[in-house]
Amino acid sequence: MSHSSQFLVGVFDDDEVVLNAVRSVRASGVRVHEVYSPFPIHGIDDALGYKRTRLDIAAFMFGCCGFLGAGSLIGLTLGYDWPMNIGGKPFAPLPDFIPVTFEGTVLCTALGMVATFLLASGLFPGSTKTVFDARFSDDKFILAVELDKNHGHSAEQITKLLKSNGATEVNLKEVKD
Amino acid sequence: MSENSKRYWRSTQELTNETGFVRNANEEFPGLSNPSHANNEAKGSGMELSSHRRDFLKVMGFSIAAASLAACEAPVKKAIPLLNKPEEYEPGVANWYASTYAEDGEYASILVKTREGRPIKIEGNTLSSITKGGTSTRIQASVLSLYDTERFRGPRAAGKNVQWAQADDEIAAKLKEISASNGAIRIVTGSLLSPASKQVIADFKAAYPSAQHVTYDTNSAFGLTKACKIAFGESFVPGYRFDKANIVVSFGADFLGTWISPAEFSKQWVSGRKVNKHNSNMSRLYSFEGTMSLTSANADHRNAIRPTEEGQYVAALYNAVAKLTGAATISVAAPANAKFIDEAAADLVHHKGTGLVVSGSNDFNIQLLVLAINNLVGNIGTTVGTEATSNMKQGDDEAMSAFVKELGAGSVSAAIFWGVNPVYDYPQGAALKGAISKLPLSVSFADRPDETAEACQFVCPDNHYLESWNDAEPLKGYYSLTQPVISPLFKTRQAQDSLLKWSSAKADFYTYLQEYWKAHMYPQQKVRDNFRDFWTYSLHDGIFEPKNADWRTHAAAAPAVTGHEADSHTEPSGLVHGETAAKSEAPASSAKGFSVDLGSVTSAISSSAKGSGFDLVLYESVGMGSGRSANNPWLQEFPDPISRSCWENFVSISMTTAKELGVVVDEGDTFLLNVTYNGVSMKLPALVQPGQNKNTISIAVGYGRSVAGKAGVNVGKNVFPWISTANGYASNLVTGVKLEKTGEEYKVAHVQTHHTIMGRDIIQEATLSDYKKDPSAGHVSHLISTPEGPKKATDFSLWNRHERPNHAWGMSIDLNACTGCGACVISCQAENNIPVVGKQEVLNRREMHWIRIDRYYSTNDVSALGVLDRPGALEIPSDDPEVVFQPLMCQHCNNAPCETVCPVAATTHSTEGLNQMTYNRCVGTRYCANNCPYKVRRFNWFSYPDNKDFAINPAQTDLGRMVLNPDVTVRARGVIEKCSMCVQRIQDGKLTAKRDNRRPKDGEIETACSQSCPADAIVFGDMNDPESRIAGIMETEYEMRSYRVLEEINTNPSVSYLTKIRNKAEKAHA
Amino acid sequence: MQVTSPVREPLVTGGKTLHDVTNDIARHVEGKPTRLWYISFIISVIVMSYGIYCLYNTWWVGLGVWGLNKTVGWAWDITNFVWWVGIGHAGTLISAVLLLFRQKWRASINRAAEAMTIFAVLCAASFIMMHAGRAWLAYWCLPLGNTYGTLWVNFNSPLVWDVFAISTYLTVSVVFWYIGLIPDLATIRDRAQNSISRFVYGTLAFGWNGGAKDWSRYEAVSLVLAGLSTPLVLSVHTIVSMDFATSVIPGWHTTIFPPYFVAGAIFSGFAMVLTLMLVTRVTFKLQDYITMGHIESMNKIILLTGSIVGVAYITEFFIAAYSGVDYESYCFINRAFGPYWWAYWSMMSCNVISPQLFWFKKIRTSITATFILSIIVNIGMWFERFVIIVTSLHRDYLPSSWAMFHPTRFDIGDYIFSFGFFFTLFFLFAKYLPVINMFEIKMILKSSGDKKSKPADVHAAKTTTV
Repeated sequence: MSHSSQFLVGVFDDDEVVLNAVRSVRASGVRVHEVYSPFPIHGIDDALGYKRTRLDIAAFMFGCCGFLGAGSLIGLTLGYDWPMNIGGKPFAPLPDFIPVTFEGTVLCTALGMVATFLLASGLFPGSTKTVFDARFSDDKFILAVELDKNHGHSAEQITKLLKSNGATEVNLKEVKD
Repeated sequence: MSENSKRYWRSTQELTNETGFVRNANEEFPGLSNPSHANNEAKGSGMELSSHRRDFLKVMGFSIAAASLAACEAPVKKAIPLLNKPEEYEPGVANWYASTYAEDGEYASILVKTREGRPIKIEGNTLSSITKGGTSTRIQASVLSLYDTERFRGPRAAGKNVQWAQADDEIAAKLKEISASNGAIRIVTGSLLSPASKQVIADFKAAYPSAQHVTYDTNSAFGLTKACKIAFGESFVPGYRFDKANIVVSFGADFLGTWISPAEFSKQWVSGRKVNKHNSNMSRLYSFEGTMSLTSANADHRNAIRPTEEGQYVAALYNAVAKLTGAATISVAAPANAKFIDEAAADLVHHKGTGLVVSGSNDFNIQLLVLAINNLVGNIGTTVGTEATSNMKQGDDEAMSAFVKELGAGSVSAAIFWGVNPVYDYPQGAALKGAISKLPLSVSFADRPDETAEACQFVCPDNHYLESWNDAEPLKGYYSLTQPVISPLFKTRQAQDSLLKWSSAKADFYTYLQEYWKAHMYPQQKVRDNFRDFWTYSLHDGIFEPKNADWRTHAAAAPAVTGHEADSHTEPSGLVHGETAAKSEAPASSAKGFSVDLGSVTSAISSSAKGSGFDLVLYESVGMGSGRSANNPWLQEFPDPISRSCWENFVSISMTTAKELGVVVDEGDTFLLNVTYNGVSMKLPALVQPGQNKNTISIAVGYGRSVAGKAGVNVGKNVFPWISTANGYASNLVTGVKLEKTGEEYKVAHVQTHHTIMGRDIIQEATLSDYKKDPSAGHVSHLISTPEGPKKATDFSLWNRHERPNHAWGMSIDLNACTGCGACVISCQAENNIPVVGKQEVLNRREMHWIRIDRYYSTNDVSALGVLDRPGALEIPSDDPEVVFQPLMCQHCNNAPCETVCPVAATTHSTEGLNQMTYNRCVGTRYCANNCPYKVRRFNWFSYPDNKDFAINPAQTDLGRMVLNPDVTVRARGVIEKCSMCVQRIQDGKLTAKRDNRRPKDGEIETACSQSCPADAIVFGDMNDPESRIAGIMETEYEMRSYRVLEEINTNPSVSYLTKIRNKAEKAHA
Repeated sequence: MQVTSPVREPLVTGGKTLHDVTNDIARHVEGKPTRLWYISFIISVIVMSYGIYCLYNTWWVGLGVWGLNKTVGWAWDITNFVWWVGIGHAGTLISAVLLLFRQKWRASINRAAEAMTIFAVLCAASFIMMHAGRAWLAYWCLPLGNTYGTLWVNFNSPLVWDVFAISTYLTVSVVFWYIGLIPDLATIRDRAQNSISRFVYGTLAFGWNGGAKDWSRYEAVSLVLAGLSTPLVLSVHTIVSMDFATSVIPGWHTTIFPPYFVAGAIFSGFAMVLTLMLVTRVTFKLQDYITMGHIESMNKIILLTGSIVGVAYITEFFIAAYSGVDYESYCFINRAFGPYWWAYWSMMSCNVISPQLFWFKKIRTSITATFILSIIVNIGMWFERFVIIVTSLHRDYLPSSWAMFHPTRFDIGDYIFSFGFFFTLFFLFAKYLPVINMFEIKMILKSSGDKKSKPADVHAAKTTTV
């Protein structure tokens, strides 16, 4: 059985307008589902009350893994698994470890973090994330409000609220999930 | 081919497995149980064998096997599986057999290494008191000639393959018919060292009375033998003793390179060149030579004389000596530039009886004068041996030209050519060819196609010497044996057997040889009480030297010319009488009476043709010699020690001439010159030779073979036609040669195109006088100034050294001993399966040799020049250069730059200090080669074993592959290779030692280069073994003569060098 | 973010609205390829085919078809490798470093620059493969222990460092580039007329819907990636320079190589970006996005890095002379006056002298001059690598093994291959992907565009009318 939820979709022309809209809409106690834009709007996270992303911490963790992984690979292969006298150097000459360890760290960090990001945002080939208005990727800024989550307000009120905050149009959209 | 190789496998096994052979062997030698014999033999036995009985059986077994082989074409009945193993045959274990190389004007007593029945390597036989284990390039390369695909597969008649029976019948019939009609039969051979073979010829002559034997040497020493005939009443080549000579004066005699017996002479000469802290005595070598020969290059003092004026210089020396000894002088015009004549004279007189004057000239007058000088300073009988004389050169130019005349006149009915190729190397070869083809009967014993064989009706291919029985007498009373180490690969037959057959003798040559030795050699000794013992042990040792006592000491100094005689011979035509002088209070005269009429000599020399235009010297090159081995790709690719070029002969011109003609040689790019001598002109590439006399040009003979095989045919130009026979002897010196530059450009393949050390201290040298004052003279130590004062560059390192708990292999190379002959290069090539890459690849600077001998010329002083001008000037060698040779192989650095940079760890360091190359791990980035400061790493640019562009590479044919050393990988395309310090030999030695559970003895393990070196310049050993020679050198020469190349970059090589010491004459006693 | 200094002239001209931006850039992706595109694409494919033929010979017959020898073991192969890697530095540098420095003008060029980076690095990688004598075993350079018994790679070898550096660099660049593409791919997906491109771009777009949360994560990722790429991009050429710097060969064993190589890399990279952008700009009529401002600021960077490189050359000479080591000083005298003097002086004139022309604003702002100079610079940089590699090797320590290197038609052919390969890829990219980063342009449009103020948004008007 498929349950569907209804959204009011406000379409804006300008990033700052939508930013103010978010502020005032939330001030009037309406819960904003999400804002969709062709490019990042700065300050909208706070306006929407999002917490700061912890991706950078993940990145640091991946970095540590990379560092240890690469370092131990070299150490174990050269120094432990099969020590060889190469050019009269010690079996495990530390200075020679630096470049590869560094590269390993960078690689691990980059891949790990990007993977986390894609997972967290559910981005992957064939992913179907709801697009409320296809013009978001061109020049429109979309503000979506889920009706079920705003029983305090009627659709009309919200529509009015959006319009008064600069929405050029407000449409009702049903989303199956 | 396959069919042949099969035959040889089966036959060897089948024969060595003859039922009852072992029993016979046992019955035949009861004497063997007698320990005394074994003990006698044990001393210095050439083979490292635990039990004498076994080794004795080996030799015996093999001799019988090969004997019956050489005798008859043994029909192959059945193949016997290897589980029925032949007695002396252990898969994977090498057998060594003593034998003798006596070909192409060279002699050496040798040991042949066979693996699975295949001879794969030649080493010198240290038992021989003549060559003492020395070898040469051609001796080393001779094993490859055995596997030459071009060899005749069987007898041929009129260009068609025939059976032996048929050939024998026809030839015998013709011979009978000819001798019946008393038609002239001529057997033309080279200098036969083999007494037995001479006997065979004698028998043949007996069978055919109209037969005569003509001895023809390609580069004869007829002048010398004739001079001896005049002086001593007997024609021979004196047995020279360079080891007894403190002073050697050479007039164009390249005794280190090609003259008479280079391997022998190198050994002798170098023994006087070894100096160290304890012994600083060293012989001195003066060279008066217009061209830069190996001997000139090694001379302490060199005067680039004009060859046609050699007589005057010899005369000048005679007079200088005569003045000092108070003998009569002779009146010959003084030479143009008498540089070093007085010093030489002074030295000779100062070292009476321990000097030696030699000349390469074929003009007997000059040789007489040289003998006279030796006589004046009492060298006759000391350094100029008159007892154990040399048989190396017996060629009789007069007889030969007589033969050619009668051949032309058509008065010869049959000619048999044995080991000679006059159609190619006789000046009138072309005419000969016509004459030979007209002969009723012409037979050649050539074992592979050559110009003469092509002209002959019958070709009765001789065996390769490794398939033959033979003996040799290089010096009178010094014998050695040649034994077959493999059954004939093809349907060939020993020349001696052919002759015996035709002279309808019953015996085969093996029996004949034994009989001969029984009759002539056996009685000369007392040690063995029965012939079989004597024979077997001689065979085992390869040599028999009944006279090997220090005979030369018995000969007293030759008489000096006394005052009375000096008076009586004030007129130029003096007469010196050894005998008469002997009566005076002068020491007892030399064994043979010496008498020379200097009058005729004087007049002859003064009237001898004066040089006009250019003098042309037609010399034998160290590698190619007379061109007999032209089809041997190893020799073709062997870089000439002086010019460092290969696959070519060329005109060497002086720097002055080059300027005049506007010839510049750059990276092998040069011009063709048009060389014209009496009507004949040839186009040859020019090479600028520093130190060449400005009126002299020189060209190597032995090239331009028209019939030879894929490697040798039409390589270079044949200049034999220019040899002059005008004065009754074959003269390799002609004059009045014209030289003009053609516009045509040409490339000569060089392995080295920069000839100076650029003022770098990669070569460190001193003069003997300085060395005597300070044993560390010439040694450069690199200091770096630190707060605590200067420190050695080698003392700085980021890391601690790795331990060498067990062995530490190292090498020390004495730059003073190395003559640059290059025997090591070919030896290494044979040992390590090094591919031949051909002229184009050498031009591309991609030769594969693992060891190279760098040759550097000194430059003029550039200190006056500015910083920017210096490099340019330093690249130009001096026109009168000092020369130095530096053998360079992988230095096995303990801090190896190559190892660090290999991404896949394909080259690493062993705990014994070896820089190891793991071929099958190599991915071929060539980073190691780039990062090698010595540039000793070689890359397999192509797949040499199967890329059809490299058909000359022996490894491309089934036959050629038989020469490959099974202990060494044949490298794949795309991998790096380099000197491994013969790690396979090291392992072998270690295993042998382990089996007898002991440490390897010093000298037991030798690298190919150190073993084959006729100058003992390369010492290899375990630096951890306090007993070893190398450790000794390291200890005594540390910071003295010993230095390591590029020490200052702290690669810490395992190979070190000993400084070059030049024995410069001080004016002191001049 | 929208404060902008009045003196700065607009980065986007022609009064574009957000929609115009989308149209202008997405147009090429959606429309049929132009004849010009076809011609150039086919030419580059033909060139690549010839290159592949030469490559086949090189690998089938052996490296002997090249002009290398026992003394000069590397020449064109590694020269080309270093040259391409150098070129491959601009992209990431522009996207990463300029991002960190908040240089807005990077917006319109970073996409193409990054693409170029990736293709250039691929070309470089192809030469690593090519130069190996047994290329089919080149993967042994990766630590694949037990497949061949526990024999591992030699981590002491700069070549192994290279393998790691190049592969890391390639991976990170690709990731960075693709992350940057996702929003624009979404744009194209949403504009797609036919189902195929909707499906293809839809798949590629990973279902991007521009949600605020995704955007904030997105920006965090770009920032960290930028932070990583900056040291990475510097490390790559540092490590490449160590191939030489850690060796013992005079002329290679030089401690200033790392900074000198990095400067050189930026130098050549920017030149290559310019060459390509100037072409794209005209063919795709993007003059409004790649303005004279861009060209001029890139020229300034070329001038700077060019001068750094020049100083490095002179320093090398000074140190060689000052060291008092024969081998060193000879090596450099030989470079300038030896048999390869021509290579040295072409390098000097192309790399040191010609960029100095950019001191003149007239030349700095002339399209033709820039185009010519950008090509000259890359010629010069190729010679720089050739000089370093060949002139150092051909006359090193022992005069006995001194030799010359002469290229064969296969040396040249294999070089040509890399061009065919590079341009084939680049033209495919230019056709099927947005060559300019749309969302970033949109981002800076208001602050840095010269858009006429629309009544709709007051703030924009306020901030941008200057």
